[in-house]
Amino acid sequence: MIRFDNVSKRYEGGFEALKGVNLAMDAGEMAFLTGHSGAGKSTLLKLIMLMERPSRGQLLINGKNLSRLHRSQIAYYRRHLGVVFQDHQLLFDRSVFDNIALPLLVSGYQQRDIGRRVRAALDKVGLLNKEKSNPMQLSGGEQQRVGIARAVVHKPRILLADEPTGNLDPQLSAEIMALFRDFCGVGVTVLIATHDIDLVGRMGERVVTLNNGVLTTEPQ
Amino acid sequence: MNRFGRSRASVVKAAKTVKEGPVGAVQSTVRFSERIESWWRNHRSNARESLLRLTVEPVQTLMTILVIAIAMALPAALIVAVSSLQQLSGNWQNSARISVFMHVDAAPDVVQRLQDTVRAMPQIEQVTYISPQAALEEFQLASGFGEALSLLGTNPLPAVLLLSPRADLINDISGLSALVDDLEQISGIDGVQLDMQWLQRMQHILEMGQRVVILVGFTLALGVLLVVGNTIRLAIESRRSEILVVKLVGGTNAFVRRPFLYTGLWYGLFGGMVAWAGVVLGGFWLASTVAVLANLYQSDFALVGLDFRGLLVMMILGGTLGLLGAALAVGRHIARIEP
Repeated sequence: MIRFDNVSKRYEGGFEALKGVNLAMDAGEMAFLTGHSGAGKSTLLKLIMLMERPSRGQLLINGKNLSRLHRSQIAYYRRHLGVVFQDHQLLFDRSVFDNIALPLLVSGYQQRDIGRRVRAALDKVGLLNKEKSNPMQLSGGEQQRVGIARAVVHKPRILLADEPTGNLDPQLSAEIMALFRDFCGVGVTVLIATHDIDLVGRMGERVVTLNNGVLTTEPQ
Repeated sequence: MNRFGRSRASVVKAAKTVKEGPVGAVQSTVRFSERIESWWRNHRSNARESLLRLTVEPVQTLMTILVIAIAMALPAALIVAVSSLQQLSGNWQNSARISVFMHVDAAPDVVQRLQDTVRAMPQIEQVTYISPQAALEEFQLASGFGEALSLLGTNPLPAVLLLSPRADLINDISGLSALVDDLEQISGIDGVQLDMQWLQRMQHILEMGQRVVILVGFTLALGVLLVVGNTIRLAIESRRSEILVVKLVGGTNAFVRRPFLYTGLWYGLFGGMVAWAGVVLGGFWLASTVAVLANLYQSDFALVGLDFRGLLVMMILGGTLGLLGAALAVGRHIARIEP
């Protein structure tokens, strides 16, 4: 589902964030991406989200070579991804419902489908009663769960998360990780960047580690 | 169908369609007809929401609309003035006359002979004879010198022939001059008067006026574009984070552009409406004066272009300019906001 072939990323100014990364993930697989800050975790995720393009190497997602993807196709490509951000990127000028509905809205779903799917996603993260709230009124953990609901509402094939538990206490973190594992269980490929080594150890899933832009896959 | 619960065969099939078709169609759970419907719905909701958004900052919105309206009202008022005058000069031109004055002491049979001669000329369309008596009566009525004239005892006015030249001669100065020369050669005719020259001058002045309108119009249209463009640029900046999120969840550039284009369209439409209202109000204010003036010149002169067709034209023009201005702004700025 995800395949990096000798991918390098050099930013303008010469900083090499990724060096010859090889990585393969099957559909329905879950993996943690760890490493010190600045090791290239975010860059790796950004390459998958096409927020950045690789300087060298090839990136195949779902069998499709991303380097052959035209600019105008990027938006459509992103509709197959779900992304959870560390700062959750919620919009405070609209309700929780409207935030989660955004991916469906841009894809042109029917109004009744949108309502059904948004409520299903809210139910999944346990926030069904917060539909009409403004995200600003929610706690950090609740905001993060709204972010997750938005990432999965359109049933993406790939779910990416960048430090999804960055600001949360251990119990909340564990709950959120359990959520991710649920999605993985229904066939979604899940890749989570985190520096929370303890949590990763407890999960017992595949771990790939970046060290100064070089990827090392640890044995399970 | 539940995507998560797919059988392996259907996943393989999906993977094949991925390889063949564009990536954009991979997860096509949305049918084409639904897409069209949702596109249309999206347009409607964008139109409504961008209209509502204008009311969030009413002062700001009003000022922008007023700037657009002023920039549009100025050339519009000029157009109304110029085309009204044009219509006026057109009326006069159609009734262009050559006045032929007989000798004061010409005998009636001489006058009759002259009249026949003139009537026979091919360049003349129509001949109206005004006897000295009729001329005197008209003069007494119109000039207010009636008392003075009655003191004279004899009628000092000559017989006059009013000639309408053929239609194709009206704009032909040399032809008319030749005609005047011919008429002056005929014995018994005292003088020939052609009141065309000042009309020609007015024609040229109006032509210049038209060019001024075009020049002013283009300049101010450019101004409207820039005003709308700048307003939209600010709107884009203030919604930057929203644009980033929408792009991250797969919103196309068109989707992101749409609300801003509608905002520009609304600004333009309202600007055009207000401009039209301003010109109409100005027209009403001038109307009484215009009517008096028109009476003095014995003309049915009226301001043209202040009807509802004018409103339609102003709204179409304003809407187009607003849309263009917004398109310029979104073209430049939205592509730059990339996550």
